[in-house]
Amino acid sequence: MDEIRSSLDNIMARFNDSITHSAPKKLVFDRLSMSFNDDSVTVPKKRRLNDNDSLNGSLNISLNASNTSLNNSFNDPAGPWQTRKLRADLIETKAIVTQLQEQLAVQAKDHAAAVAHAEAKADALKEQCDYTSAKLLEMEKHLQVTRKREHNARQEVNRVLAEVEEQKLKYETALGAAEQEKSQLEDDAREVQHCISNELSEYKRQSERLQLELEATKNELARIRRRHDEYKANSASYDKLQMDFELQQQTLDTANARIKELEFEIESYSDWKEVTKTSQARLLSVPELQAEVVRLRAHNKHLNTLIGDKLLLEEKVHDYKTRLDREEGARAEAAALQVKLTHVELELKEWIKVAQDHCLANTLVSPLALRTRIEQLLQDDIVRVAEKGNSDAETKKLQSALLELQQQCAVYLKNIEDMNVVLKRHKSFRERLQRKLLIVCKERDFYKQLLENFDKDMTMTNASTAEMTNDMQVRCRVEVLERTLTGYKEMCSTLEREMQNMRQQESLSELPVNENGYDGVKKELDTLRLENDRLRRRKDELELELEHRCLRGDFNMGNYKVLHMSENPANEAYEATKNVMEKLQAEIERLKRRNKKLEDESEQTQTNSGGLTMNFKELNQLRAELESANGRLKKAKDCFKAARNEFRDVCYMLLGYRIDRVGSNSHYRISSMYAESPDDYLSISVNESNCLALLESPYSQTLKPAIDQQLAANNSFPAFFAGLTLELFQRATVTIT
Amino acid sequence: MSTAQATKNCITLKGSAQIIVEYLKYGINSILFQRGIYPAENFDNTQQYGLTILMSKDPKIVSFLQNVLTQTEEWLAKNMINKISMVITNAHTKEVLECWDFKMQAEAGDGVEAGDPTKQTSSKQLSRIQNEIRDVMRQISATVSYLPLLDCICTFDVMIHTLQNTEIPAQWNETGAVFIQNAQAVQLRSFSTGLQKVDTVVNYKMSS
Repeated sequence: MDEIRSSLDNIMARFNDSITHSAPKKLVFDRLSMSFNDDSVTVPKKRRLNDNDSLNGSLNISLNASNTSLNNSFNDPAGPWQTRKLRADLIETKAIVTQLQEQLAVQAKDHAAAVAHAEAKADALKEQCDYTSAKLLEMEKHLQVTRKREHNARQEVNRVLAEVEEQKLKYETALGAAEQEKSQLEDDAREVQHCISNELSEYKRQSERLQLELEATKNELARIRRRHDEYKANSASYDKLQMDFELQQQTLDTANARIKELEFEIESYSDWKEVTKTSQARLLSVPELQAEVVRLRAHNKHLNTLIGDKLLLEEKVHDYKTRLDREEGARAEAAALQVKLTHVELELKEWIKVAQDHCLANTLVSPLALRTRIEQLLQDDIVRVAEKGNSDAETKKLQSALLELQQQCAVYLKNIEDMNVVLKRHKSFRERLQRKLLIVCKERDFYKQLLENFDKDMTMTNASTAEMTNDMQVRCRVEVLERTLTGYKEMCSTLEREMQNMRQQESLSELPVNENGYDGVKKELDTLRLENDRLRRRKDELELELEHRCLRGDFNMGNYKVLHMSENPANEAYEATKNVMEKLQAEIERLKRRNKKLEDESEQTQTNSGGLTMNFKELNQLRAELESANGRLKKAKDCFKAARNEFRDVCYMLLGYRIDRVGSNSHYRISSMYAESPDDYLSISVNESNCLALLESPYSQTLKPAIDQQLAANNSFPAFFAGLTLELFQRATVTIT
Repeated sequence: MSTAQATKNCITLKGSAQIIVEYLKYGINSILFQRGIYPAENFDNTQQYGLTILMSKDPKIVSFLQNVLTQTEEWLAKNMINKISMVITNAHTKEVLECWDFKMQAEAGDGVEAGDPTKQTSSKQLSRIQNEIRDVMRQISATVSYLPLLDCICTFDVMIHTLQNTEIPAQWNETGAVFIQNAQAVQLRSFSTGLQKVDTVVNYKMSS
């Protein structure tokens, strides 16, 4: 706020400054009056005054002088020196008068001059006055302008002041709001402090309670410790007892084992007895047995010899058997060989026959001869085969040559056909030319005929010798016609020459074009045609592609480069997906590991998992809490029970009635302290409207008069019970006394 | 009076670039909405060309398009752009699924100073141009009926095909042209400002 105030002061100071600066300066108009005072008013006045003074002075002097003279004349009778003196005075005065007169004249002149001067000055002043009046007007205008400006400035000042006021107001409101806020904050702070203090106190209380609990728990702990020590002692004694028990068990076991051993020994002893009995019996039969042994030995020897004979015989039998087998094999072989022999002999005969067939007649029939013959034949064969190969190669060559020739022939045939075509063309050309020639010849004949006609005419005209003019005319015509005729003749000859030339050219040109030139041209034509087709197809393909690309707009891509923002949504999306993928992968890995761990743990023990231990811990904690809560509840219950009993006892002792609640239907049993028997009680029930009602019972029947008196009349239970108590008390004391 | 008439319907190259950039802004936003590249709740209604066009309100996309289109306008005013491609790609596989090409063709204009290419003018009515643009926008909305469904998370990029001598500004870089395997192209209507003609072509991957 101080800042605001200081800034406001500053603004005000600045504003005042501006006002003082901009305010019109006070104009001083004293100069005029001054000038008037100085020049035109004061000076002449002074002068006049001075003049007057001087005049007065002179007058006074003169008056005084006259007075003195008068006095002198009056007072003194005229003396000589007095007269002289008077004369001298007179002269003096005369001189003075003249002097004064002169002075007066000078003064008048001066006055005139001064008047003139003053007039001139007045004119000048008038001019000045005019000028100043003009200036005054101007100044007034200026003043008006300045006043206007001042007015504006004032308005502005007012406005600014209003603004300042407004701002002040605003700032004040802001200040007020801030203060309000501050107070609110303070309130809040106080409230918070209050809350904190409350909480603190609560916490303190809690801490105290906790401390109490702590102490209780400490006590309990000490108790438990004691119990624990006891238990320890118990357990130690138990352990000792167990050890003793074990020791005893061990001794029992050893004793049992010993017993068993002894039993076994007893059994073995009985067995041994039996054995000794049997061995004794056996000992008795030893000589018999020896005799039998001798007999058996002899038997054994006999058997051994028998076995040796049998073995020998068996060996022999085996030997014979093998021999027999071999013999049989040899016999079969011999039969086979005989069969073979016959077969071979037959073959030999055949061979010999063959040899005889093939060998020369005079030579001896032998395998050698046959071989030579065969060799000869083979050689012949080889030679023939070689010849055949040669001939084959030749035929192939010939065939290829034939093919070539055929191709050539085909080419030639084609050429010939082409030639024929050309020939036909030429023939047609020639025919045309001949026709033209014929036409020309006919024309020529026609013209010849015409000429003959004209000749005839001429002769006829010559013979008749008609008019000269006609003759002249005809002559002229003849000349003209002759000239045309020569022209035609020339034309004919040229045409004939041309024809001949043409024929010659034809005969000449037909030869060289035939062979190579035409072939080459044709081949070139074919290749060109092929190329044309190929190019046309390529062009179609390219047009299709161009159309396609035109639609897609990706032709001439080399002329352009593709730019894009480096930070585009696509990049961001790629990054984001990459991150998400990585995260997910990591999560998968984590979950896999966790899964594996869980599986392992479940395999090991189903109860020993981490979550279950956690649950166990929690469960144990909850159980402990529950126990403590139950304990507290029990303690409170006990406390309440004790208090209730005490309260009931006190009530019973003070008021003399025990009130028991019977059942849950708000029935009450009221038995007096001074009742004669425990069965003497009254039953009372409470209605829904909280009204008490005495129920009828055997005891209440006996109290009918009291009930009628107190309850029915006064409707007061306390009075009734007090009366009953008094009555019973008196009865009891009476009986005691 | 005659001069006033002459200057009334006069579009300069800069004005033409502005019109085209405006079309691109609305066109790209419309494609983003129509093709379902971003969820529909990220879009706001706007009235333009006598149509209701949905504009993205995602600040990232708005700023991206603002940057791209400012640069585009600068280049368009110098006739340096061949075409502008809006490429829709699969965010996971980076496969190009669709490519919207806006091809620019310079036209002669019918202004008086036809000799200087930077001072060409066109006297085409703005309302006529906007009507043409409206037709194209309608076609863009209608493409949804035949374009294949984009059933994956998609994203987009704007690529500008400029002349080789263009300087690359900051935050921009050069990239390759995109190609769509087994592509099918459909040309939409085109519009012209009198100085530049814009063809809109959509290339999309034929669903196998």
